[in-house]
Amino acid sequence: MKYNKGKGRFIFFCLTPAVILFVIFLIIPTIDVFRMSLYKWGGYTDDKTFVGMQNFTKLFHSDKFYQAFQNSILLIVIVSVVTFAFALVFASMLTREKLKGQNMFRIVFYIPNILSVVVISAIFSAIYDPNSGLLNAFLNLFRGAGSEPTLWLGNQKIVIFSLAGAMIWQAIGYYMVMYMASMANIPESLYESAGLEGASRMHQFFNITIPLIWTNIRTTLTFFIISTINMSFLFVTAMTGGGPDGATEVILSYMYKEAYTNSSYGYGMAIGVVVFLFSFALAAILNAVTRREHLEY
Amino acid sequence: MKKILGLVLTASLTLGLAGCGGSTDSNASTASGDSTSSSGETRTLKFAALETAYGTDIWKEVAAAFEKNNPGVKVDMTIDKNIEDLIGPGMKSGDFPDIIHLAVGQPKGLTETFIKDNNLTDLSDVLSMTVPNESVTVKDKLIPGFTDTTITNPYGDGKTFLMPMFYSPCGLFYNAGLFEQKGWEVPKTWDEMWALGDKAKAEGISLFSYPTTGYFDAFFYALLNEAGGPEFFTKAMNYTEGVWQSPEATQVFDTIAKLATYTEKTVPANGNKDNFTKNQQLILDNKALFMPNGTWVVGEMGKAPRADGFKWGFTSLPAVKDGGDRYSYTFFEQIWVPAKAENADLAKQFIAYLYSDEAAAIFAKVGAVQPIKGMSGKLDGDNKLFYSIYDNGAKAAMGAFATTDPVEGVNISDAVFGTVDSLVTGAKTEQQWVEAITKASDALRQALKK
Repeated sequence: MKYNKGKGRFIFFCLTPAVILFVIFLIIPTIDVFRMSLYKWGGYTDDKTFVGMQNFTKLFHSDKFYQAFQNSILLIVIVSVVTFAFALVFASMLTREKLKGQNMFRIVFYIPNILSVVVISAIFSAIYDPNSGLLNAFLNLFRGAGSEPTLWLGNQKIVIFSLAGAMIWQAIGYYMVMYMASMANIPESLYESAGLEGASRMHQFFNITIPLIWTNIRTTLTFFIISTINMSFLFVTAMTGGGPDGATEVILSYMYKEAYTNSSYGYGMAIGVVVFLFSFALAAILNAVTRREHLEY
Repeated sequence: MKKILGLVLTASLTLGLAGCGGSTDSNASTASGDSTSSSGETRTLKFAALETAYGTDIWKEVAAAFEKNNPGVKVDMTIDKNIEDLIGPGMKSGDFPDIIHLAVGQPKGLTETFIKDNNLTDLSDVLSMTVPNESVTVKDKLIPGFTDTTITNPYGDGKTFLMPMFYSPCGLFYNAGLFEQKGWEVPKTWDEMWALGDKAKAEGISLFSYPTTGYFDAFFYALLNEAGGPEFFTKAMNYTEGVWQSPEATQVFDTIAKLATYTEKTVPANGNKDNFTKNQQLILDNKALFMPNGTWVVGEMGKAPRADGFKWGFTSLPAVKDGGDRYSYTFFEQIWVPAKAENADLAKQFIAYLYSDEAAAIFAKVGAVQPIKGMSGKLDGDNKLFYSIYDNGAKAAMGAFATTDPVEGVNISDAVFGTVDSLVTGAKTEQQWVEAITKASDALRQALKK
């Protein structure tokens, strides 16, 4: 009995520092965001005016908010789907096939993930350059020099997809490595017996590989949402500044502009609240939709 | 024994937590009245500035000279390209620098936030202070007009809250060498501009480029003055009802919309903070004739390759009609004192010193020109050409949109200037542009500072 009390006390004191840090740096700031979204505040004075839900009312009447929100959703969908597909295929190839230079490919695919966003933005700005960019130079092989260059970052209908391209390139390696880790745990015997039964590679992929790493896939879906929202802000800031004329404004860059450039810090926090609720709801929905019976080996 | 071990581990974890606390440097700076050197006590002036193209060395020199002139005073400088991030957290918790050298128009909008919050010290009495080591007052030394603008006097009460620094004429930059080779003349009216544009187009040269849409502020302000004069400009800057539907405003919008059709098509693609120098490069490569800019562009593109015979040329905007006024917008930076600064009186003395001949000479070494009389006569090289724009018939335009309380979701710069990209790409029409401006203007009129 004495022994148990002492142990409990020890556990309590070990947990205390971590919990305190968690509360101070995560819980309290989050609550503060919700609180400040009810105020009209410039950000640097004590002059705060309580305005209730007025910030949210204005938000839902703002065209710019809807443009930014649409851009964010579009990026979440495109980047998630494409990255997911490529990462899964690459992971499968690198774990299941006997490729020469396999380890080198593993490293090469992962490199974009460790590069700074600014570096990647510079790379893709060069690739997308209208006159001397790699992409237009390549396309000119087929449509002849002297034709109108495609303005990858200047055409407002295209630029959001150009941004998505850079984000996809950056993200594939990260998820590929996660999927590879899961796939490595699948017993080889399952594939061998399937092979003996005449199952094709494609069949094995969809009926053995994917079901058995499903737990990992579900986890990464949440990562996709969070990282796309965050990374889209970084890429927009570094690459396009939200332009041309708001064509690539995303929800977080809009929040930044309102909170700082437009001196509407409370309104910016209201946008933050919406982002929080949206990503939370989206993650919950995805989690529910993708729930399946857990398969064991 | 097991219990003792548990306690030791817990204690070490707690110490680790204490280490995260960070040192709360309680700066007990005792304000010893107005005297700057009473009983040998040292006073510290906290100065914060954005590091710009002019660098940091000039500020160190000026601070050293000021300290020499004021025994017992020490200038504590924080100069950084991201100054807002450095001093922002401190200010949120009530720790303000005594002086901040940060202009309006920055992406983080810190200066604008302080203006909108009425969080500035009144600097009107600096104008009546005598410039240190000289016999004239600051007001008499400054070039007239610089402290009469909506930027320096944001509340319309005649009081000055931001002091002007480092002015630059803005206008159209071009390759004078190319014009000489082709035998072309620099247009004096917009009709001549369009004629030149057609001629240049035939030779594969675009008429116009711009670094980013942000540079259209100087352009737009100058054009408003040309179309309707300073009175009309003031009306526009105060969001007067119906101003954007007036004939003068329509002329401005028509001109810019037409200019958009003469603009190099790749400009919006490079019109961001990483690639805007490519848009400036178009001038050096003779792929575009004109671009709006300020005198800092010469240093900015100092190391860029250029066409043979390239020579910087600078002109004001063409007149809207033959014989009409031509304007060059005068861009200038600002320096100001937070309302809660501890040493506002010392800050004012420092600001007054910045207009002394001694300080101005230090600044001029890197091309930072103070808005004081006689300064343009001391310049040489390209700067002499640029700053003589006003001696060659161009009128000076100053001022900006009037100060308002923050209006959530409404930003006049985005509406007026940011939309030019869409005019070039064709994504928006001139009418849509004017409608968006009118809508933003209506919202901001309600929020004007009274």
